[in-house]
Amino acid sequence: MENEDVMLRIEGLKAQVAGQPILHGLDLEVRRGELHALMGPNGSGKSTLAGVLAGNEVYEVTAGTVTLDGEDLLGLTPEKRAARGVFLAFQYPVEIAGVSNMYFLRTALNALRKARGEEPLDAMDFLAVARERMKIVKMDPSFANRGVNEGFSGGEKKRNEIVQMAVLEPKLAILDEIDSGLDIDALRVVAEGVNSLRSRERSMIVVTHYQRLLDYIRPDRVHVMAGGRIVTSGGPELALELEEKGYGWIEKEPPPAAAEARR
Amino acid sequence: MSGAEASFAEQLGRATVRGEPAFVGALRAKGREAFLRLHLPSQRHEDWRYTSLAALAERPFAPAGPASAPAKDLPAAPRLVFVNGRLDPRASDLAGLSAGVRLSGLAAALRERPALLEPLLGAGAPREDAFLALNAGLFEDGALVELGEGAKSERPLQLVFFSIATQPVASHPRNLVLAAPGSQATVVEHYRGEGPYLVNALTEIALAEGAVVEYDRLQEEGPQAFHLGHLEVRQGAQSRFTGESFALGGLLARVELRARLAAEQATCDLFGLYLGSGGQLLDHLVEVDHAGPRSQSREVFKGILDGRARGVFAGRIRVREGAQKTDADQVNSNLLLSDDATIDTKPQLEILADDVKCSHGGTVGQLREDQLFYLRTRGVPLPLARAMLTWAFASEMVDKLGPDELRVRLARAVQARLPGGALLREVA
Repeated sequence: MENEDVMLRIEGLKAQVAGQPILHGLDLEVRRGELHALMGPNGSGKSTLAGVLAGNEVYEVTAGTVTLDGEDLLGLTPEKRAARGVFLAFQYPVEIAGVSNMYFLRTALNALRKARGEEPLDAMDFLAVARERMKIVKMDPSFANRGVNEGFSGGEKKRNEIVQMAVLEPKLAILDEIDSGLDIDALRVVAEGVNSLRSRERSMIVVTHYQRLLDYIRPDRVHVMAGGRIVTSGGPELALELEEKGYGWIEKEPPPAAAEARR
Repeated sequence: MSGAEASFAEQLGRATVRGEPAFVGALRAKGREAFLRLHLPSQRHEDWRYTSLAALAERPFAPAGPASAPAKDLPAAPRLVFVNGRLDPRASDLAGLSAGVRLSGLAAALRERPALLEPLLGAGAPREDAFLALNAGLFEDGALVELGEGAKSERPLQLVFFSIATQPVASHPRNLVLAAPGSQATVVEHYRGEGPYLVNALTEIALAEGAVVEYDRLQEEGPQAFHLGHLEVRQGAQSRFTGESFALGGLLARVELRARLAAEQATCDLFGLYLGSGGQLLDHLVEVDHAGPRSQSREVFKGILDGRARGVFAGRIRVREGAQKTDADQVNSNLLLSDDATIDTKPQLEILADDVKCSHGGTVGQLREDQLFYLRTRGVPLPLARAMLTWAFASEMVDKLGPDELRVRLARAVQARLPGGALLREVA
């Protein structure tokens, strides 16, 4: 049954990398405005799913469908997905020497605007927007003119991902382990940034290994992945249960029926 | 004897009877003798292993005749403009020269001030080299740049060399830069042209104690051109030389940069960028010779090669006995944009002192997939993402240029030659 509120629908998704299957038939629905947490042990396929959604060609999709507001995503290039509103915050943001942060971000924003038939922002207007958005994660203005992520600490890179999200204003944001490598203060700043960007029009998938992040970002739904599928889903309390019991019990219990795993 | 050699031999035979000062005649005679003995180098010559001159050698080259310079797109004064190897006084403009700085045509200076030039001309280039020999035998003109003691040139001194040819012609510009103690200047050499031609240029630069010279070389020859450029630098104590070589044009272009750090605490920075596409061959031979103690050299050369283009880089660092505390570093990085593009890169260290710091390094690679993917996830289309990363690689070298105008001009010229460069202009 079609539900108009479903923004992202994943059905029977299988994917492999270098011939090695990683996702074994994954189903997930995310409604407009919801924030879903995707948890699970290392190697369960969380980051693969994030990469597949963003269009990383390292991953080969062998079965299943992914639609965003009813439109097929899997046939689109990464840049076209971005134009449709998909954003991936990288676990390991890439350093690009020689391309300044602001030049990069303005080029990206104007490419998105162009793809949507909007007028480009000039340098002055853009700078005003970018400075405003940098404040969300308390990023020092001096970072604006440095090379993209060049020489940034782990925490600075994660903040920079959030600044990009704030400027590009995606419809669906996938945050891949934005908590990894952060101390508690940096985690709080990043989480506050994410929270300030939540809205009824924007959905988010927060991929994390640890429950700690969810103390700061309250999810609407929590899913647990193991062996390339979602094995159990629930409300925020599921994350607490995981914190208490670890991931061991999930791998021992038989996976629930797919219908239950889905929302 | 090949077609080219025969034509040069014939011209060399006539060159010694021009009514020039005797020392010039002697220089030409030595050039003639050396060229006839050496011939054009073949690939059996160690320095020419990766660069074939077959396409150059097969045709005769006539001496380049007089022509006038295109009136537009000349750099700001002060400038000397040469066309087909001869000064074009109407296109030249000496406005804005700083006190103590003098720009002249070499041919005129040889007529008017032979005593000044007699001990200097050819003093720094007694090497056995066919193209140097040819230049000595056949040069018509060139620039004489004189920086008086302590003189500071406020504006860059621009030297423009146009070649305009319908039939294969050759010119052999010869330039001399004399930087007296404590002087400072930026000298720009700019090579442009159209048609089938050969430019065989030599620039000698002598930096006296404490002189500071930036020398920017922009090679934007026409697509059918052969370009051979020699730079010979001699550095005195505590002098500082920064040389930049941008090789963009030409069918076959080779630059030999040689710097001799002859006295103590000289500093030499050499940067280069070669940008080849189609069937271009772009070659750099860079030799830094540390002969005095406590001197320092840095070399960064980058190449971007597309299509069937070939790049060659040979970097030689020599540290002589007694050149203790030398600090020398060399990097050659290359970006291959197509499967058919190639690079031959060869570092060579020859170290005869024991208390020195020398290193070399480099890379040959393609654009990084992870960087492309990152840009694309932000909405940047693939062709623009490629152009951005290629420009990022190149811009580090362009940014080294001192004069603002020149940097902007070169950025445009480089971007215009990059795949997808037009996309960069759109988003600028």
